[in-house]
Amino acid sequence: MDLQKLTSLYPVFLFLLALLYISYRVQKASKEARLQDFAKDYFIGGRTLGGFVLAMTTVATYSSVSTFVGGPGVAWQIGYGWLYMAIVQVVVVFLVMGVFGKKISLVARDIDAVTVIDILRARYKSDSLCNLAAIFIVAFFCATMVAQFVGAAKLFEAVTGYSYVTGLTLFGIIVIFYTTIGGFKGVAITDAICAIAMIVGMSILFYGMLDKAGGYSAIMNHIRVHDPAMLEPLSRGKMPISLYISQWLLVGVCTLALPQSIVRSISYKDTRSLRSAIVIGTVVIGAMTLLATWVGVLSKGILTNPSLAAYGGSVDNITPRTIVSVMTPFWAGVTIIGPIAATISTVSSLLLTSSSSIIKDIYMRALEKNGKSLSNRGIQRFSMAATILLGFGIYFIAIAPPSVIWKINMFAFGGLETAFFWVMIFGLFWPKANSTGALWAMFGGVVAYCTTMALHIRLFSLHQIVIGIGASLIFFYIGNAIGREPGDDVKRLFFPDRFGDDED
Amino acid sequence: MKRSEKFRRANHEAKVTCLATLAVILFWTLAGFGLSAFDISFFDTPLWVLAGCLGTWLFAVCVSFWLAEHVISDVDLAEEDACRMKGGHV
Repeated sequence: MDLQKLTSLYPVFLFLLALLYISYRVQKASKEARLQDFAKDYFIGGRTLGGFVLAMTTVATYSSVSTFVGGPGVAWQIGYGWLYMAIVQVVVVFLVMGVFGKKISLVARDIDAVTVIDILRARYKSDSLCNLAAIFIVAFFCATMVAQFVGAAKLFEAVTGYSYVTGLTLFGIIVIFYTTIGGFKGVAITDAICAIAMIVGMSILFYGMLDKAGGYSAIMNHIRVHDPAMLEPLSRGKMPISLYISQWLLVGVCTLALPQSIVRSISYKDTRSLRSAIVIGTVVIGAMTLLATWVGVLSKGILTNPSLAAYGGSVDNITPRTIVSVMTPFWAGVTIIGPIAATISTVSSLLLTSSSSIIKDIYMRALEKNGKSLSNRGIQRFSMAATILLGFGIYFIAIAPPSVIWKINMFAFGGLETAFFWVMIFGLFWPKANSTGALWAMFGGVVAYCTTMALHIRLFSLHQIVIGIGASLIFFYIGNAIGREPGDDVKRLFFPDRFGDDED
Repeated sequence: MKRSEKFRRANHEAKVTCLATLAVILFWTLAGFGLSAFDISFFDTPLWVLAGCLGTWLFAVCVSFWLAEHVISDVDLAEEDACRMKGGHV
């Protein structure tokens, strides 16, 4: 048994070591660039990302442990309706890059922006708005990171037989170190490798399942006989239309405003990279979603007991039990690299964005207001210290997460979308949008969203994101009517097509 | 290229991307819900699953290719960096 346990550990361990080594090499290669401008290299990779890495890091950051564990688990229960709903995510990459990609990149280069909040500061000129945005980013990201760690550590425990803390320590510590030393470029390159690992892991599991169950036809026949509702889009009432509409907003259209995706628009090298990333990203996110969720549907042919109670009463147990049922210990170890890669790629990106918010958007701004500044070496020390301390904080919380973390995590995804959706869209496309409107929209929208989530209040059975986004829009218009119109400098910077070039 | 022209293009590309997203939503609806009324299967899989899931993915890939090749144009971003170095927009 111990040898079996060790066999399943090897692939994960080697994969993590490889990521650590790559990050170390990236740090060595970035030495010169970091000496010149540490913040720019560390937080956005010196704007050097090519199309492939840009696409893969965007997809890997977006795909999380729930793509491979929670989602497939529900697909085991619901059937093809869940796959039909999950595929709405194919628009995520081309939407964010097509709408924001070029415009944000142009502005970011004009003002030398390193974070999304730098863009907001230049557009709205409001410290209150930027501090609020930084607080939301750090709070929601931290809760998400804890949840990611917990999900992956539980999966690790179920598949390898090693304890929860062993798994958490293994990939938790390594992701913290490689993020700290590699910075954005290291994160982007390791994300790309993680995205490939996710597809490989799921492909192996897909093949293993078909092999074990006697082929695709046998599984489909089992589903047709024992649970025909799995073959209907509405799954006989389990998948109402309101759920589809909600998901189009929550994991489709509104993901446009997620800061961890937008920051990638600041980091690419040239518009050729942007164009290729749009295609590659759409191919990869679709393949990943289809594979992971289809595996969930087909696991019905492996875990054939119709009652979830037979599998521990939680949909989160479905993927680990399928892996254990289908794969040998070594291949189980290879397969779980996929979900672990999804976790660490999300955590590394959120960790770096959080530390940039703390150091660049809050601390350095506070110094600047007092007429002080940090040297390049000071920025290096503080940025790396913030990343490592925050990372370890998340790690220790994940060992025994308090209930408040789960509450914040429940609000995190929709909360971030609500906070940034109109603020970003109006900021970039409506010259009259002002800081009062943006502040009201961000604060009012998030309060409305979190309150209705906590009290389980829904509008026409739709997810609370509809209320959050709707309230945020109303607050924006009210605040905008009260506030002052942006100055000519802002209008020329963000809307030169209407207010004239500086060169004119 | 003048900066105003770059922004004009970026605005146009953003609008077309929104319309492209609507096209994917429309395809997804017709291919999935639309075809679910028919009891047709290929390779042991209902047609609405193949069209609504695999089909939507392939349609989205085609849309993204069209956006990348025919809508989103190349602009020289290095000009913005150079301009900033000279103190143009800061």
